[in-house]
Amino acid sequence: MAEKKRLKDLTVWQKAYIPEIAKGLALTLKTMFKPKFTMEYPEVKFLPPSSYRGRPVLVEEAGGEERCVACGLCARVCPALAIEVQAAETEREKERYPERFEINMLRCIFCGFCEEVCPEEAIVMSKDYEMVFNNREDAIYGKDKLLVSVSQLQDRINFLRSHK
Amino acid sequence: MLIDFILIPLVKILIIVVLMLLTVSYSVYFERKISAWAQNRIGPNRVGPAGIFQPFADVFKLLFKEDIVPKVANKPLHTLAPILALFVAFTTYAVIPIGPPVEIFGKMINLAVVDVNSGVLLVLALTSLGVYAITFSGWSSGSKYSLLGGVRSSAQMISYEISMGFSVAGVLIFAESLRPSDIISSQSGWMWNAVLQPIGFLTFLTASFAETNRLPFDLPEAEPELVGGYHTEYSSMKFAGFFLAEYANMIIASAMIVMLYLGGWQVPYIETLGLSAGLQASLQIAAFFVKIGALLFFFIWVRWSIPRFRYDQLMDLGWKVMFPLSLLNLVWAAILAMIMN
Amino acid sequence: MPKFTLDGNEIEFKPGETIIEAAKKVGVDIPHFCWHPSLSVSGNCRVCLVEIEKMPKLAIACSTTASEGMVVHSQSEKTLSARNAVMEFLLINHPLDCPICDEAGECKLQDYAYQHSKGESRFTEEKVHKDKRVPLGPNVMFDGERCISCSRCIRFADEITKTGELTFVQRGDRVTIVTFPGKEFDNAYSLNVTDICPVGALTNRDFRFKARVWDMSATKTICSGCARGCNIEVWVRNNEILRLTPSQNDAVNSFWMCDYGRLETFKQVHSNERINGVYMKREGQDVKVSWDEAYANAASELKHLNKDQIAVIASASSTCEDNFMLAKFAKSVLSTKHVDYIPHVVPGSGDDLLIREDKSPNAFGTELAGVHPAAGGLNRDAILDGVKKGTIKALIVVDEDLAAMSPEMETALAKLDVLIAVSTHHNRTTALANIIFPSATYAEKNGTWVNFQGRIQRIRPAVTTLEADRTLDNLAQSRLDKFGTEYDRWGRSVKLDARPVWKIFAGLSTAFGNKMKYTTAEDVLIDMGKSIDAFKKLDYEKIGEQGVQLELSAKVKA
Repeated sequence: MAEKKRLKDLTVWQKAYIPEIAKGLALTLKTMFKPKFTMEYPEVKFLPPSSYRGRPVLVEEAGGEERCVACGLCARVCPALAIEVQAAETEREKERYPERFEINMLRCIFCGFCEEVCPEEAIVMSKDYEMVFNNREDAIYGKDKLLVSVSQLQDRINFLRSHK
Repeated sequence: MLIDFILIPLVKILIIVVLMLLTVSYSVYFERKISAWAQNRIGPNRVGPAGIFQPFADVFKLLFKEDIVPKVANKPLHTLAPILALFVAFTTYAVIPIGPPVEIFGKMINLAVVDVNSGVLLVLALTSLGVYAITFSGWSSGSKYSLLGGVRSSAQMISYEISMGFSVAGVLIFAESLRPSDIISSQSGWMWNAVLQPIGFLTFLTASFAETNRLPFDLPEAEPELVGGYHTEYSSMKFAGFFLAEYANMIIASAMIVMLYLGGWQVPYIETLGLSAGLQASLQIAAFFVKIGALLFFFIWVRWSIPRFRYDQLMDLGWKVMFPLSLLNLVWAAILAMIMN
Repeated sequence: MPKFTLDGNEIEFKPGETIIEAAKKVGVDIPHFCWHPSLSVSGNCRVCLVEIEKMPKLAIACSTTASEGMVVHSQSEKTLSARNAVMEFLLINHPLDCPICDEAGECKLQDYAYQHSKGESRFTEEKVHKDKRVPLGPNVMFDGERCISCSRCIRFADEITKTGELTFVQRGDRVTIVTFPGKEFDNAYSLNVTDICPVGALTNRDFRFKARVWDMSATKTICSGCARGCNIEVWVRNNEILRLTPSQNDAVNSFWMCDYGRLETFKQVHSNERINGVYMKREGQDVKVSWDEAYANAASELKHLNKDQIAVIASASSTCEDNFMLAKFAKSVLSTKHVDYIPHVVPGSGDDLLIREDKSPNAFGTELAGVHPAAGGLNRDAILDGVKKGTIKALIVVDEDLAAMSPEMETALAKLDVLIAVSTHHNRTTALANIIFPSATYAEKNGTWVNFQGRIQRIRPAVTTLEADRTLDNLAQSRLDKFGTEYDRWGRSVKLDARPVWKIFAGLSTAFGNKMKYTTAEDVLIDMGKSIDAFKKLDYEKIGEQGVQLELSAKVKA
């Protein structure tokens, strides 16, 4: 950072103000002709890296079943109270499954704590950043919207494993 | 008679108004574009190719917005203020000639709506009226932010009008007339007032920035401190009125600078090229618009380069720097006029 | 009293006490799995090993009796490393399925693993696999892999219920728990083993996977199942009761409660038959009206009746406060002498552990609060007779389904001029009532119950009604209760429009022009203490967590 200057520290040239204005104008003029970095969304889409924390999703195994065992740790750790889980019993080997799993996307702050705390690697942050809803009810994502097959999430899962 | 006094002025008014509205809306567009470029962005690019229809989209949006009037507002004045602002901005344009007199269908037509012999005074008087619009809006909104904006505006305008007036005086010494066309013709060749009286040019330019409330003199608006200043409590088309008036004022100021200091529609030594009268006139008109365009660009460019003054700095500059400088310029102009005569 | 030194502090003990008992009294918790204060000592988990000076080896604190001058170290290096070793052994075959296990959050093994374990296992071999999800009985589910073989459940069945259904089979790391052949673990107290099981091996089949422990709030209150008045905790999430667990009160229920009380008493609180809002009969239809309208109507209908034609039937499930207010209303506002309640005694249904024959939680308290016929008044049988004969024209009935007693009774009730039912649920009597006031259940109100021993105990609201507020009325709050908004699905819990009985009769009394100046149930209790000796100088603070034995005069005892 530039050193802070008081009025008394300025030279006469600087006090005259006009040359300094000219310098400023020159800078902005120069900038006007520099190449722009704007990404023209939605024509050009941002492809997030695997470290990106997008919409949290539930991992769906190849068999179409969720990995989640509804332990409720994500709901407990969620600082925004966005997650609600209702467990129920199932005949599967893992006795427990989420009968209802809801994330209120209006509450979610994309901190990724749920992903970090999940003992089953069942909830991960996807690369999806396009979320649109017209009312508060639609913003509550249920299992139908949350389940994403494991093959689509491999990138993130590998990232998580490499940073354990 | 009918043609001379009614039809021709009416056509002129129509042309000027349409021209003004278009220029105003496109200066908004360019403002946004230039600001974007200066900040390494692209700027509006959604409405039409490269966003060229953005001004229309903006206008439609503003038209469809709800007009909100604060409960405690003084309704007549609250409504009057934006109308006054627009009226002043557009009326001023009547006296500014955009080119030399041309002959159309055998009639000599003056390329100003009216060429009055006290044109410069009229402009100064009308632009001063603009301060009422801002003061009214500030007072009638019933909001402390608006009021502060209005008060600041009147103080600022009064302060800078003085240096503006004295700068103009320097020009008048050379033109020996208040008539715009005379002022322009007094600057033939390279005898532009900007060259002869650089100090006057500088003070007038600065004062124009202050009079149009453009950055670095936009204290009446001052978003960070006053929310939106005098137009905080305005919405919909009333807000658009102020918005358009600001840009119209910018165009007036540019036109005034061109007229007073940059030789108006004159192009140096164009007569020596031996062009036909029509072509020469068109080139001169084009030159006028190019000059205005360059100044508008300058206005915008300065806005996105220089931060706002503090209020005391503004007053210091106005009274302790600009006013003495304009006086100095008056003396200089007088001496110069004596020598040249 | 003799003394010994524990971690540098001298502590007193009673001769015969073990180290763990003496330590517990001064608030030092020596880790333990198999030891339970009310079960015999088995000493098989070994986690309570402590270092005792001049003893050659570490000793288990649960079976070593304290003696004068003993110097015990529960935090020494040797003790801690022994504890770590024991934890490591216990965790060798314990599955890492805390995310699935219901015990997580209230699991002793989990807690001690945090406190006393290294956090990693050196055991890389395959864990022993045992039977999972074995139903031991109708209510209890067993998971063999999670069991750490502490034998608490076996000792419970042997010593507390004396039914002895459970036993260990196999040896070494294959040891597991089964019921004896041909037997089922179905005694009346079977679910207590899910409370004493230090891990998630025994779980409540009714509550399995319903909620996480940390998502619920727990409210200490009293079981409504019988006159025993077992101390319980009510576990609530989203304003819904999910389970009941017993809480310790040595004078009443020790650590236990019966399965009936645990499973059957709370479901009625959320039944679909609950009455929501005040109803009045208009042209044969029940129409929802406002409280004030119903009060005014009830008052105007009762006012022009002869006071000898009005009778009041109270409930032994209501609190003392409710019944005191009701008796006061009947005797001073209605001026009727016919006030009584109907007892619910099922002969032969009791046992000598906890379950009582009297199924009402507050029959004793109801009588103490003044619900009995005034001199010359009709008692319960006479009132019911009067209804049948038609000499009683108006009846106020609180939480009793009189119409279900007999068809004859039902027709008699239908013929009454005025039938005002104060009830928690819709039933055949409310179907006949002119006015129905919705009353709050035991889980929705403050109050006191007097159990069969004459012990007065507090009930506390765990579920909110429309007029109550979790924060303002000091109800237990879970995490979600503190932060929910109406836009969160979990914030939209069902709240019924119901009031405690005492409040309903205070309102009715006001409608009669007889204002009662009570704002809380405690006010009623304090007022009650002024006129009834048994309740003298009592308030809720005095009753406290464990209740107070009432001082009863000889006359009342008889």
